[in-house]
Amino acid sequence: MHPLKLREKIASGEFILCGEIGPPQSCDDLAIREKAAHFKGHVDAVNITDNQSAVVRLSSIAAARILLEEGVEPIMQMTCRDRNRLAIQSDLLGAAALGIENVLCLTGDHQKFGDQPEAKGVFDLDSVQLIATVAQLNAGYLLSGKEIKKAPDFLIGAAANPFAPPLEMRVIRLQKKVAAGANFIQTQPVFDLDLFSRWMQKVVSFGVHEKCAILAGVMPVKSVKTLLYMRKNVPGMKISQEYIDRMHNASEPQEVGLKIAVEIIDSLKQINGVRGIHILPVMWESIVPTLVTKIQKSI
Amino acid sequence: MRKNIATLQKSPISTGERKVSRFLLFFEDLVKVPLFGCQHCGECVLSSTAFVCSQRCPKKMRNGPCGGTGEDGSCEVYRDRKCVWYTIYRRSQLFSRMRLLLKFNKIHNWDLEGTAAWVNVFKRRIDPPIWFAGKE
Repeated sequence: MHPLKLREKIASGEFILCGEIGPPQSCDDLAIREKAAHFKGHVDAVNITDNQSAVVRLSSIAAARILLEEGVEPIMQMTCRDRNRLAIQSDLLGAAALGIENVLCLTGDHQKFGDQPEAKGVFDLDSVQLIATVAQLNAGYLLSGKEIKKAPDFLIGAAANPFAPPLEMRVIRLQKKVAAGANFIQTQPVFDLDLFSRWMQKVVSFGVHEKCAILAGVMPVKSVKTLLYMRKNVPGMKISQEYIDRMHNASEPQEVGLKIAVEIIDSLKQINGVRGIHILPVMWESIVPTLVTKIQKSI
Repeated sequence: MRKNIATLQKSPISTGERKVSRFLLFFEDLVKVPLFGCQHCGECVLSSTAFVCSQRCPKKMRNGPCGGTGEDGSCEVYRDRKCVWYTIYRRSQLFSRMRLLLKFNKIHNWDLEGTAAWVNVFKRRIDPPIWFAGKE
């Protein structure tokens, strides 16, 4: 049987699993194909990051196309940092022509955090406006108002960070994204279940979870170093001290890292409104098949 | 269905209008710069942001904060500054204007940069300010 597409899976109400691949800082397509092999058959779709942390990488459109060739459904990320509205619309039309059906709309990390902080950040649109723009293209119009003869039909994704203050503002922003046309939401990796469930309660109280599929982010980590690095350098990350202590005291950190990821996923599944998991295995794609087998037992 | 999501150029801004606009901007600045830290975008959304200028944000966010707000409410790019959207949230609570935070602020018309928003409202180029937030 042909596997369900992400769009169909969201409509069906089944539990959703997504992955994430960062393209290389070179034109090495094999690196992407190798990473894709870890995800194939294990997840429903895989994000392709768009110059994440403002570091130059192979373009997300090209990488998404390579994923399609490998038989993995891509979710192309698109940020507002590097493109103005003309480039955004033209890239979206191009992506649709290449057969890419899912797009994740982000504002993008500020260029100051990247490898070329001297760059000019564009930020012509913000992420909410980007979502509205994709919805407008889907409806058959360019931003200018001109009708599109053959309009794309993107499934629109957006991101949410439940861990940055103030909590209420995060829910308001989520509501705005859904009102603008987001079909699914991926969250920052969860390392603080308490805060996440408080955010989720608010989301559910406004009924936002009924209008879009919320996928909670989970990041399996190899070592305590990764955790500490993330806490220090990645904006908007919140990591419970409990996990850091456990990773620190572990004799086999990889085992413990996997165990923590499984535990977090098991707890997330109990939270009302969570429709799926977004796995972000940074530099550890090979763990995905093991992780998915472990969690699928309990789905 | 086509939605009205961008502030489009209805007609080119004439040289005469630009002159008038620049003259009036001087007076607008006297109020908006010291009080709100106006950045002269010409498409004022102050009324929806509890009278804190959102355009001081390094990412020019017009529809809410990015995901990088620090735990102390600091900006992710300049840690010594407060996230403008954090301040907007606090002010909106203070002035009971929370409802307005849900308003979609349109895609900016960059041709209005450096013109007087008051003129642009009068000429119906941009949305008029919302003075009363209404009931929560």
